[in-house]
Amino acid sequence: MPDFSPEDNKLALKVVFYGPALSGKTTNLMQLHSLLNPERKGELMVLETRDDRTLFFDMLPIGLRSHSGLDLRLKLYTVPGQVQHDSTRKAVLSRADGVVFVADSQVAQQDNNAIAFGNLEDNLDKVGLDIDTLPMVVQFNKRDLPAVVDEAELQARWAGTPWAPLAMASALQGTGVIETFQALLDRLYTGIDAEFDLAGKHSIDRSTFIGRLSASHGVDDA
Amino acid sequence: MRNFEDDPTLSDLLTPDQLQRLSNGLSALCRKPVEISENRAGDAVPVEFNLETVGWLSGGASDGEREAAAELVSFLMLFVAKYRLAANIHHDTTEASYAELQRQNEALRASEAKYRELSDQLQQKVDEQVDVIRQTQQELYESARLRSVGHLAAGVAHEINNPVGFISSNLRVARDYVQNLEPLLPETLENRELLEDFQDLLSESIEGTDRIASIVADLKTFSSIDQADNALCDLNSLLRSACHLVQTEHDHRLNITENLAELPRIPGHPSRLSQTLFNLLDNAARAVGDDGRILVRTLADNTGIQVIIQDNGCGIPETVRSQVFDAFFTTRPVGSGTGLGLTVARDTVRAHGGQLTLDSQEGAGTRVVVSLPVQQGS
Ligand SMILES: Nc1nc2c(ncn2[C@@H]2O[C@H](COP(=O)(O)OP(=O)(O)O)[C@@H](O)[C@H]2O)c(=O)[nH]1
Ligand SMILES: [Mg+2]
Repeated sequence: MPDFSPEDNKLALKVVFYGPALSGKTTNLMQLHSLLNPERKGELMVLETRDDRTLFFDMLPIGLRSHSGLDLRLKLYTVPGQVQHDSTRKAVLSRADGVVFVADSQVAQQDNNAIAFGNLEDNLDKVGLDIDTLPMVVQFNKRDLPAVVDEAELQARWAGTPWAPLAMASALQGTGVIETFQALLDRLYTGIDAEFDLAGKHSIDRSTFIGRLSASHGVDDA
Repeated sequence: MRNFEDDPTLSDLLTPDQLQRLSNGLSALCRKPVEISENRAGDAVPVEFNLETVGWLSGGASDGEREAAAELVSFLMLFVAKYRLAANIHHDTTEASYAELQRQNEALRASEAKYRELSDQLQQKVDEQVDVIRQTQQELYESARLRSVGHLAAGVAHEINNPVGFISSNLRVARDYVQNLEPLLPETLENRELLEDFQDLLSESIEGTDRIASIVADLKTFSSIDQADNALCDLNSLLRSACHLVQTEHDHRLNITENLAELPRIPGHPSRLSQTLFNLLDNAARAVGDDGRILVRTLADNTGIQVIIQDNGCGIPETVRSQVFDAFFTTRPVGSGTGLGLTVARDTVRAHGGQLTLDSQEGAGTRVVVSLPVQQGS
């Protein structure tokens, strides 16, 4: 849930990158760190083990300050995908404002995607969040690989869900990462604006919200 | 408690000692000493971490020096914070797992307790069922015995009543005839003696048939064959019949003193009550042997009636007394009785809403008191 502290006019939001192990969550975050150029961007904290697998989580803070003085923060987290880290996943997931589910497009990984999605449903339930109302984007990553499930087939399969259309990406090559993030910002904005009147009180309308938080290098972020 | 993800403050990240050491090290590198603090001083520049100002760095010889020093501190903070975050989330998840374990443990213990309770209840049910079965067995045994006695009594009463009846009335007619013959015979001593003898013979025979008739009546009372299962019972008459039958069983050698008060009739099961009284008297008879005394008394007040059967026989040894009500227990040698007597007696009395108490002293005798309410169930 959004964490608003009126004394320093600070609104902190939490977005969690969820998904099976090795689907590319950390890579998504690393790409965002290097591609994004929002007004404010912190250090990417990567907490990994020796073999490069996420142990606790990765975290990237970004933010903007509105003319009204609102200090808007977005903390982007990844969870460890490996089965044994479920309690860490739950801890990171709690109080999330939005979720990016990073699925692996490879044909051989479809079972793992389903298991991870089921685990997301369970854990959202346990931390008191509702998967049907929580802003969420489903990304199918690794589109650059040869043995991937056909996009049309994936889109058709997910067409009846609240998460259509799916986002396609190759985090390794940096394509589709920002688009995924923007889609999430778009879904996130609705609820936040309803609760905090971002447009009315802070002159942050939808496109400002998305544009300023996802501004990339070489693009004017004004 | 703070969340693992809450933005850390300077004092969350470094102890005062560490902060001092860091300031000292930076001061040694700069041309003028620098100081790091959580409060903003005059020329201080912010030390940032994760978009958050965690402290202020002041001192130094120039803006450039301050900024470079602050940047170095921010860089260090990243690694300190990484460790702090990892430690915090580890702590949080460990606590959560432990809490979950405790909850499971609690749930396990609760379900174990529930199962134990269930098994206790089950045991209790089994015990109750066993009791019911034992009780039913007793009743079966008892009713079979009563039925056979009842059938026998009914048969005997039927078979004997008629012949005894006409024998008795024939004898009385015969006695009249003998009287009528008297004036017709010559008046001799021999004839008079003959007639007197004849009269005596007939009188004794009449007495005999009267006794037979009364035994038949007792049997009928005892078996209550002409009574309903539930009737108003005259305890005194049941008691008298039982006494006669016990005498019959012991060849009329018993010394029984009856001291019966006037009793109200009580609702009950006559044949079961008869059986009970018979059992108690039979026990007393076996305890006294040939030269003891049995005292049978009845009393009544407005709450109920009491039947007291007391003997001065061998008594019941203390060690056996607690067992005397156990079904199938008997102090008599095997084969001489079933021991069911007292249990059945007690159960019957209880079924009538009453109480049976036993008071015994080895070598001095036994006293059994049967208390029955006048009005059952009130
Ligand atoms: N081919 C390809 N490999 C990727 C892509 N994204 C991530 N990977 C690789 O998949 C492996 C796991 O990525 P990582 O981001 O650590 O996965 P995480 O466990 O979800 O955090 C790494 O070797 C990445 O280089 C992608 O879009 N295409
Ligand atoms: Mg990872």
